[in-house]
This record gives sequence, C-alpha cells and structure tokens, in this order.
Amino acid sequence: MSAVLELSRMSVALPLGGFLSRARLPILMDVSLSVGRGESVALVGESGSGKTTLARAVMGLQAVSGGSIALDGQAVEGAAGHARLRRDAAMMFQDATASLSPRLTVGYLVTEPFRIHGVALPDPEGMARELLAKVGLPPAMARRYPHELSGGQARRVGVARALALKPRLVIADEPTAGLDVSVQAEVLNLMADLRAEMGLAYLIITHNLALVRHVADRVVVLYLGRVVEEGPTAQVFAAPAHPYTASLIAAEPRPDPRQRRMDLAIRGEVPSVLRRPSGCEFHTRCPMAREMCRTTAPTLAPIGAGRQARCHFADQNKDQQGEQHAVEHR
Amino acid sequence: MSVLSVEGLSVSYRVPGGRLQAVRDVSLSVGRGEVLGIMGESGCGKSTLAAAMIGLLPQGAEVAAGAIRLNGTDMLRLPGEEQRRLRGQRIAMVFQDPMTAFNPVLTIGRQLADFVGAHGGGKGAAEIAGMLERVGIPDPGRCLGRYPHELSGGMRQRVAIAAALLMQPDVLIADEPTTALDVTMEAQIIHLLRDLRTSFDGAIVVVTHHLGVIAELCDRVAVMYAGEVVEEAGVDALFHDPRHPYTRALLSCDPAVVMPGSGHLPTIGGRIPDLTALPAGCAFAARCGMAEAGCGAPVPRHRGAGRSVLCHRSAA
Amino acid sequence: MSSAVEGTVPGRRGIGRALLADPMGLAGLVLVVVFLLMALLAPWVAPYDPIALDVKAKFQPPSAAHWAGTDHLGRDLLSRIIWGARLALGIAITSVLIAGAIGLVLGLIAGYGPRWLDSVLVLIFDSMSSLPMIFFALAVITVLGPGTTTLIIVIVLVSFPAYARLIRTQTLALSGADFILAERAMGAGAGRIIFRHLLPNVVGPLVILICMDIPVVIMLEAGLSYLNLGVKPPSPSWGNILSEGYNALRQAPHVVIVAGVPLVLATLGFTFLGEGLRDVLDPRGAGRRWG
Repeated sequence: MSAVLELSRMSVALPLGGFLSRARLPILMDVSLSVGRGESVALVGESGSGKTTLARAVMGLQAVSGGSIALDGQAVEGAAGHARLRRDAAMMFQDATASLSPRLTVGYLVTEPFRIHGVALPDPEGMARELLAKVGLPPAMARRYPHELSGGQARRVGVARALALKPRLVIADEPTAGLDVSVQAEVLNLMADLRAEMGLAYLIITHNLALVRHVADRVVVLYLGRVVEEGPTAQVFAAPAHPYTASLIAAEPRPDPRQRRMDLAIRGEVPSVLRRPSGCEFHTRCPMAREMCRTTAPTLAPIGAGRQARCHFADQNKDQQGEQHAVEHR
Repeated sequence: MSVLSVEGLSVSYRVPGGRLQAVRDVSLSVGRGEVLGIMGESGCGKSTLAAAMIGLLPQGAEVAAGAIRLNGTDMLRLPGEEQRRLRGQRIAMVFQDPMTAFNPVLTIGRQLADFVGAHGGGKGAAEIAGMLERVGIPDPGRCLGRYPHELSGGMRQRVAIAAALLMQPDVLIADEPTTALDVTMEAQIIHLLRDLRTSFDGAIVVVTHHLGVIAELCDRVAVMYAGEVVEEAGVDALFHDPRHPYTRALLSCDPAVVMPGSGHLPTIGGRIPDLTALPAGCAFAARCGMAEAGCGAPVPRHRGAGRSVLCHRSAA
Repeated sequence: MSSAVEGTVPGRRGIGRALLADPMGLAGLVLVVVFLLMALLAPWVAPYDPIALDVKAKFQPPSAAHWAGTDHLGRDLLSRIIWGARLALGIAITSVLIAGAIGLVLGLIAGYGPRWLDSVLVLIFDSMSSLPMIFFALAVITVLGPGTTTLIIVIVLVSFPAYARLIRTQTLALSGADFILAERAMGAGAGRIIFRHLLPNVVGPLVILICMDIPVVIMLEAGLSYLNLGVKPPSPSWGNILSEGYNALRQAPHVVIVAGVPLVLATLGFTFLGEGLRDVLDPRGAGRRWG
C-alpha cells in the first residue's frame, strides 16, 4: 500500500541574494517522510527548524532544490502535478484569520475550492451551509467577513475550506496556535471527528508537544532542517533516542505544580543556518555532547521497529530514557 | 505585607450600545518575593486588569470603582505626572511581543541608557551590562551594540526583562511573557523569572492563558472569568483541588493533562456571556454542569484558608 | 438581494455613513455632487446658449437677466460656467478613469507577475514620470494639435505611472500575505488571485489618489486652455473664460471672479472628498474600532 504523501530526500535552499550570486542557503536537507492513509504525523521543531518551509514546499509554494514528492505513489511533477496535489491535499495556515481573503464573505471563501478547480456547484449557498454545518458553524456565518470572526471561528472556516473537495491529506500548520485552552480542545475534537469520518491523513506542524501526544500516530523531529528523530509517538515520548527530542519534552511546561522541572533541560538558542555547527549540529546545546560529536556528523540510522535517530548514542539514550520513564510511572 | 493590592476594582469600556464591563469587583494582592498568576481565556479581563495595574488603560476605559495600592498609595488617585514617574520606576511591565516595546532604529544599549536617564538613575554602561548578564545574556557588551531586530525572540524577551528590572521596581508585571516563544525559550524564560523571584526583592505578576506556565512559575493563582476572579488559591491547591466549576472545566480540557490516545478532549460548551448585558447571578451558570435554579441569584464569595471561590455550590 | 456566497466588498453602506459623519468629507461630497449635477444637467439648467453672441450686451455686470453678467462677446457667463463644468469634469473624470484603469492593471501585473516583467514595467513607469510634465504636454500638443482628445491623452500619459506605482507597491506588499499563499495552496491561478483577491484590497488607495488628482487635472486643463493649448475657443472651458476675462480685467473684473470661483470650489470639493475617503478607507484608520 502506498503512502498518501511520500517525500524522499527533499531539500530546499534559498538564494542568498547578492548580485549574480549563485550561493544558496540550505534550509531543508534530505528530508524523507511519509504519511500513510488515514495516518496522523506530527512534524515538530523550534522556529528555524524548517517545518513551515517543508509544508510550503509540499504545497508548491516554495521551490524545491532536490528530492521528490509523491502523492498516492505518483510523483508530483510540474504544474499538472501540483494542480492534482492542491486538489487532493489542503493546507491550514497558522494564522487562520490572515489566511482568509479579507474582502470576501465566509460563504464565498468556503466554496472557493470548487470554483478554483472548476467543479460544478449547482447550489453554492447550500454547499456553504453544508460545509459550515460540518465544522459546527451556523448557516448565518456565511454572510460574515473574516475580520468579524473570533479566532476559533476563523479556524473552523479554515477547516471547512480545507475539506471542501474531500482531500485525502490535510497539512495543518500550528492548528491550535493562539487559541484558548477550551477552544483548542474543540478544534482538536473536530479534527479527530473529521479524520474518522472522512479517512483523512494529517501532517501536523507544531511546537506544541501536548498536541502531538494527543493527535499524532507518528512524530518526526526536525533540527536545523534535518530529521533528527522519527518514530511512533508513544515510543518517542516514552524513550526519546535523540537528546534534542528529550530536551524538547523536558522543556514543555507541565500543568502540575508538583512536577516542576528545577533543572534546565536545554540551554542556548538554535544556531543560525548561516553558521551551522560542525559535526553533530546539535552538539552546541547537547547536555551529553562528547569529543566525537564536535567532529563527526551522525547519520539518521534505524534503531528498532519504525524508529530512526541521528545521534551517535541513540540506542543508549533510548534505553536510559526508557528506564527513567518506567521508573517515573511506576 | 503586600506590595501591590487591588481593591474592589471595576473597569468598563464605553462601546456602541452600552458599557462593556471588562473587570468587575476584583480584589487581589501580591507580596515581595511572591509570584501571582492571573489566568483566564481571551475576553476574561486579564489584560485590562494588567493594564490598570500599570496605569496604562486604553482610551475609552473607565475605572468605575476601586483602588490599586502600591506600597499603600492609591495609584488611581495620583496626578498623571506622579503616576508616570512610578511607572517604570516602582512598577514595570514586560509584554508578549518585546519587539513592540523597543524602538527599531536605536541600539539596545542606547535605549536602556535613555530609559535609565529618563528615570534619573545615574547608572553607567557597566551596570546595564551587569543587568543583561543577570538575565542570562551571554555577551552583554556585544548585545548593547545591537539593534532589536538582530536579537532572537528569546533574547529580546530577556532584554525586556532586564530593562524592566533596571530601576529595581517593586512589582514586575509580565503579560503573556512566553506566548510568542518556542518551548525551549519558554522554559528558559520561566527559569529566569523563577530565579528572579528569589534574587530580586519584588513581586511578580504573570498574566497568561497557559496552564503550564502558571503551574511551573506561580505561587498563587487568580482565575478570571467574565471580568471576575472566580477562584483564587495557592498553586498546588488550585491544580489539585480546584473548587470552582470553571476552573475544573478549564483544567480538564488542556490536552497536556488528558492521557494520550484517550479520544475526545472535554470541552466547555457555550460561550462567555455578553459583557455589556451580564446576568445578575453567576456569569458561568449558562455553561456550568452543576448549575441549578439558585445560581441566578447574586453569587456569594466563600473565603477559606488562603483561598476564595465565587460560586453558590462550592465552599472554599 | 446580493447573495452571501457571491461575496461582495464589505461595508459599502458603512463607508457612506462614515463619510457623511465627517464634516470635511460631507462638504466635499456636497460640492462634488453639485458640480456633477451641473455638468450632467447643463442643457437644462443653463439659462442661455453658452456660445450665443450678443455683442450689444458685452461686459454686463451681474443682473436679473444675467446672474453672473456677460463677457466681451456678450455671452451669458453663468451658462458658460455651467457648460464649463461639463467640459472640465468630463475631461478630468474621463482621463483619470482611463489612467486609473491602465495604472491598476499594469500595477497588478508588475506586482504579482514575473520578476523580469516587473523590471520592464518599472523602467517604463520611471521614465514616464521623469519627463517634465509641462514640456511633455507641450510636445504632445505640438504633434497632435490642441483639442479635447489631445488633452485627455496628455493627462492619461502623465498620470498613469503614479497610479501604477502605487498599485504595484500595494500588490508587492500583499503578495506574500497568508491569504494569497492560502489561495495559491488551493490551486488558484494568477488571474483569480489578481482580480478576485488582490484587486479589491489594493483599489482603495487608488480611489483616494484619483479623487485627489481630479482637481489637479481640472487646473491643468484650465491652465492649458488659458494658454490656448487646451480646449479650443469658443468652447466654454473655465480656462478659456479666465483667459478671456484676464484681457479685460480692468474693464470688467467680474469675469475673472466668476470663472475663478467654480475652479476653486471644484478643487476644494474633490480634495475634501479625497481626504474624507482616505480617513474612511485607509487601513490605518481601521484601528480606531474598539477592541
């Protein structure tokens, strides 16, 4: 069975500017990733990790400098390929309100995908009502303009629009950013319902680990444009194999004052992509970096069923972290 | 002894079609070395409360009743000039997006020096650099020569905190200090504020909607709903023994507390009430699972050991 | 009734109401409407034929028969002013609308189209606007001969680059906006993005600029006509009336005054309306809304 979305060794490099300069700055390097039918995959990393660039590259909004994209086993190439991809895959933007064209009504916006792809729409008003109902919005909402919507409502309109053409894949960039806790829960429930109902696959881009734990089957961790760890969510959270993953999990504030973290898991900031560190690119912030990490770059290597990590000591870390996890939860 | 205390404060906005009651009869206090969290969802009045505390209410806002006492003096009764002098000197604020707090065309060093100068402090570059070091900026000398856009979000937030602390204020108010940051930066800022609580001898007020930040950082928490403080308690009591139905509902729908793979997250049905036409009784009754006929009557505030609850059905 | 799904520009009625609430905008609107009515209804409201001579009655001061007096050929000045409004507004509105349309389309293409096309178009805009306006106008008039059509061509050529540059800047700023990315991600083509999504969001400032430019064009027309390079006499252009009146300034000062007043009022009217529209439409004004 082929995956809905398959990226193999995808790279994105941005021109550095400068007159007649051919120099390019690598943003994403050899990222391979697959999203199976009905599967929910989370892509996590700090800002600057390249996660939003990846989403844009998949949707054809960002030129790709290497590698390939396949949708349902068919390579996505050229304008025709992207036209097909944009019908079968939809994207939800981080800023839901800003992603709605400001001078058009919600009713027009949710039915726009039909017009774009030339799908006959005998009853646009009825379709708008149906789509709004599907995301739990009243029909009267069709007459509103984007600036009249609350954050949660704009998010729902974004979902309705993404689902209009019954896609098989939805790429969601920070689907709960800027939402209140209770509204966040409503949006996540809606996404879960729609997944079950329509057999959707999700690629969720986020830095919110609570969200990942809740909705993702598999998680892919990016650091400076490279995949550093990948695996089933439960296993990765229970026993992270890459120290970066471990420190991301540890950094997450816990809503329980009895579990306060008194030590700081990760120091410093993401290095600039203009000055990538030598060897393992994480060594400048890694709590367990050794001499070899400064000089030798690790490769992304399999570490058991369905898991991969880019660390010299991945197996060791995994076992240690796993034991710790087991102790904490005993 | 409390440094800052808010007593019976009500703030409303004039809007077309009436008065929007953003803050209603709020009483709070915070002492030296204490971190008070103000938690709530958008529209609950927490930002208006924070703005009132620092005397920066927007146009159209009106204090209908109450007092805000800083070391015993009611700031609301002070003339504008004196209020302005207190701001920055005795009470300082850190915003969600520190970029907006800086002038983009001046270097960090210049802005901090101007700021100190404006408040009559004779502090030199060395002291400013010392403060930057204290908030965890690795190379303070170089940072002073930089422009705001050359710093990362986390660094800017540190500089903003340093700027706020330069005059050694009695109160530091942080409005969503980590919302614009990555998890890793968020953890670092939380640690910084936690360290400051002990090293800087003032009170810290953190305003946020993020339950994790509250739990990691605060000593005491006030939960706001529709302009009122519906529950106030020590952080441990609040998270482990919440008394108000709204607090309970809010805590239960955070994806961070729900066990993974448990399917649906609990939600709070309905919306916050119209703040221009509030009910006489409990504002949460329409969304509350425990509501009964009596909840339409004005709500009594139950006070108990270190906590208070605004509910007919839960005793403190 | 318009359908919600057809999606219209929001708050047209709101814009009108806000304009009426602003005293300056209201004054501008009233003046502009009065001049537009004068222009449209000239054949019916003008008491005399504007070019009918009555040499015996030349240089008559304002009287019951001739409310604004007569000129050196005994023509009724009020009728000439009213017909002059038709000429002045006709030329001004026609030319700025043509220039606006050209500027809008070229600006959108430059702002959203490929880089090379943008460079070519910007080069054209810049070289057009680097020409000194009055010499350029004189050159075109020399080639084509004076007349109404020439005047319109001159005005269009002189004003479209500014419009195009305004639209290009706006378009460039918006083309990276999330909602444009979202449209591209859904597969929307360039035509749909330009006309459905960019155009309604960039056209507001252009409307303001055009409105503020109308008085400039009226003055330009009057100036060129005054120099006998614009509308040919005996057509009742305000510039012609002024020029003819100027020759008899000592003998009959009312001619210049009568021709000057509508020029000033029309200029003020369109400027006020433009400024009123800017206050209402300018996105920076949107922040005044509470919350």
